Amino acid sequence: MTLQELYVEIGGDYDEVRGRLPSDKFIQKFVLKFLDDKSYELLLSSLENGDGEEAFRAAHTIKGMCQNLGFTTLMESSSELTEALRGGAPTPQAGPLCERVKADYERTAGAIRRFQEGLPT
Amino acid sequence: MASSKRQKILIVDDSEMNRSILVDMLEGEYDTMEAEDGLQAIGILQNHSTEISLVLLDIVMPKMDGFGVLEIMQRRHWIETVPVVMISAENRSSRIDQAYELGITDFISRPFDAQIVHRRVKNTLLLYAKQNDLEALVAEQIYEKQQNSALMVDILSHIVEFRNGESGMHVLHVRTLTELLLRSLVEKTDQYHLSKEDIAAISMASSLHDIGKISIDEKILNKPGKLTQEEFVIMKTHSAIGAQMLESLNVYHGEKIVKMAYEICRWHHERWDGRGYLDGLKGDEIPIGAQTVALADVYDALTSKRVYKPAYTHEKAVEMIVNGECGAFNPLLLSCLQDISENIAEEMAPKQYVGPRHAELSDLLQDFSQHKELSASNRTLQLLEHERMKYSFFAAMSKEIQFEYTKAPSMATFNSWGAKWLGVEEIVMDPFHNETLMALLDEQDWQTIFEMLDATTPDKPNAVYECRLLHKGKRRWFRIVMQTVWEGEEPAYMTGTIGKAVDIHDMRTNLESLERMASYDGLTDLLNLTSARKQIEARMKAHPDNNYALAFFDLDHFKNANNTYGHAFGNQVLAHVADLLRQNVRDADIAARVGGDEFIIFLEYHQELEAVIRRIYRSISGGDFQGFTVSLSMGVATTETVDPIFTDLLKAADQALYAVKQSGRGRFQFFDPSLRSLKPAGGSYADQSISPIESQDDEKPQG
Repeated sequence: MTLQELYVEIGGDYDEVRGRLPSDKFIQKFVLKFLDDKSYELLLSSLENGDGEEAFRAAHTIKGMCQNLGFTTLMESSSELTEALRGGAPTPQAGPLCERVKADYERTAGAIRRFQEGLPT
Repeated sequence: MASSKRQKILIVDDSEMNRSILVDMLEGEYDTMEAEDGLQAIGILQNHSTEISLVLLDIVMPKMDGFGVLEIMQRRHWIETVPVVMISAENRSSRIDQAYELGITDFISRPFDAQIVHRRVKNTLLLYAKQNDLEALVAEQIYEKQQNSALMVDILSHIVEFRNGESGMHVLHVRTLTELLLRSLVEKTDQYHLSKEDIAAISMASSLHDIGKISIDEKILNKPGKLTQEEFVIMKTHSAIGAQMLESLNVYHGEKIVKMAYEICRWHHERWDGRGYLDGLKGDEIPIGAQTVALADVYDALTSKRVYKPAYTHEKAVEMIVNGECGAFNPLLLSCLQDISENIAEEMAPKQYVGPRHAELSDLLQDFSQHKELSASNRTLQLLEHERMKYSFFAAMSKEIQFEYTKAPSMATFNSWGAKWLGVEEIVMDPFHNETLMALLDEQDWQTIFEMLDATTPDKPNAVYECRLLHKGKRRWFRIVMQTVWEGEEPAYMTGTIGKAVDIHDMRTNLESLERMASYDGLTDLLNLTSARKQIEARMKAHPDNNYALAFFDLDHFKNANNTYGHAFGNQVLAHVADLLRQNVRDADIAARVGGDEFIIFLEYHQELEAVIRRIYRSISGGDFQGFTVSLSMGVATTETVDPIFTDLLKAADQALYAVKQSGRGRFQFFDPSLRSLKPAGGSYADQSISPIESQDDEKPQG
């Protein structure tokens, strides 16, 4: 899988990212790093524990990373979730939005993992 | 930029990935440091503020967000020297406005664009670069204070003098002499077409002749002694730099005075024969203003004392100039100098400079010097940094806890030794809700400290308190010295507290053990009579209406124990009795050894005193100690029948004891006022009650 194909699969905007960040190598490095970030786990656990503020920050961080990496689909859903969580008091939409973020995240992370497996070692 | 050292950028973002992206983007040109939340950022700024050239700051972060960081940076004036570029996915304009109000220089929104990040960082750094800063400040100051040329001149020339460490009179002298020379010149010739306004403008502009010196290293500028070749080359650049500064003053472009000043700055070191600098101009190629100022400058330099030469007299100076010892000058000007020679001495005599603008000027200068400190003086910051290092070193050696508390934001800062010792962070936000910190002192101690601080005033801001601090589960005595910090006038308001805590535990415990040694009986470890009396009196004074009882007892036939088994055994008996006594009185009761085999017990009671006394009596009396039968005779007096005065109680108890002795020992008895008459005239212990008494069995009636 090429980097471009990966972006198509996860609903990202490769051309936009390529215009902003210095090189494919640069982009690839941080795309792979996305898997290491713990914000997603933090989002889920803090929602479970009812810690609204922590959940907001986690969603906000995911949104920021997706913006930087041009992961448009996950960026949109995490952005909406961020707004639903803002102020630490989740709105009723937070539940369904979180389900969307989960689906988008799993799709994105899954694709990156497959991309990673396909890389020459 | 002058410095070839790489500039350091602090990246503050809670997302590791975002920090990495920025580090990757910037590390080619800059050094980077990272902080993962606002609190860390503040910690780094606190310790590295002179090293950090720029902060890239995220908004949404745990512990302290970007706005919190900005607020603290503003309060501590860091923002004036360390620019902040905010980076965030936030795009609501109210938040952005808020950030600008808090002093950020620029805003980068996500997603990051490598080029934009680069350019913003570079622009911001340029903006804050020293040279630009200084020029911008000069222009801004002048603009702010409106276009008052005269004021501008004064400001600029005084800035130079501030830095030169000159007497402050040089500029004034040059100005006066320039004016005198020019007036004399127009009487001789009209070839220079000088109007009155021209003369005024040149004289005023003359004050600016050395402003270029602002950019000369102070070490060269104030060097005591002759300059080396290289130093002189650097020194000579002040002419060009001064001219350039005036050229870049957009505000005043086109004004006559600025044109004159430009000429004077650039050419006041030229000489008539073309052998001066900067451009080697000759004769009247040199504008007349510059010629005149050059002459005045030389004259004042000759007649002033310098580190490397004494002050020459007026006559000597004129002679040297006319003889060409200081380079060639326009012959016309030289004859003017000689013509006005007499006036000069008079005009230049020291006088108080009291211009109408004096007060305004000093305000301005103060403003300016403050700005100058902020922008220009990295050296000052480094010196401060050095002092701070020195201080924290000594503080570590002396085991001091140093702290600072600011009310807004509510924040406590500790020196690193102190923080480590106490087991707290060096920076604690909202300290009074921090459990670790609050647990360091007893609640009562905190309360007292707050009350003491509340009672301070700007005139008396100090407070000292001794209490125990928690350290690794144990409490140690510390002396805390505090000073409240005030701002503003009438009314001043308290903005925080600084202070230190010094370990006095060893000193204090030594003192306590001395005190203890003085208060306790060495053999039995019970209180001695003196300290028991103190405590008893304090107790009765605090609650005079309560019921108290004093029991006074001795051991029956103690002398036999001593005689039969020796004094060492007698001491063992006494220690044994003391142990029993300790075990059987309540914590609140006071038990003491009066001396010899005599003891007292003081207790407070509410009812049923007799039962209590009986219990104590029985727990001690009647047992056997290594063959010696312990038996007590005890007299008890209470405040129900005796005034609550220690000596009276003791006397009464002693009388009751006497009665017991008389009636066969081995029991206790309450004082009966009617028995008073039975008391013998002398020989009672109570009469000598305050000093410990040796065993006096012999003197007692053997009943």
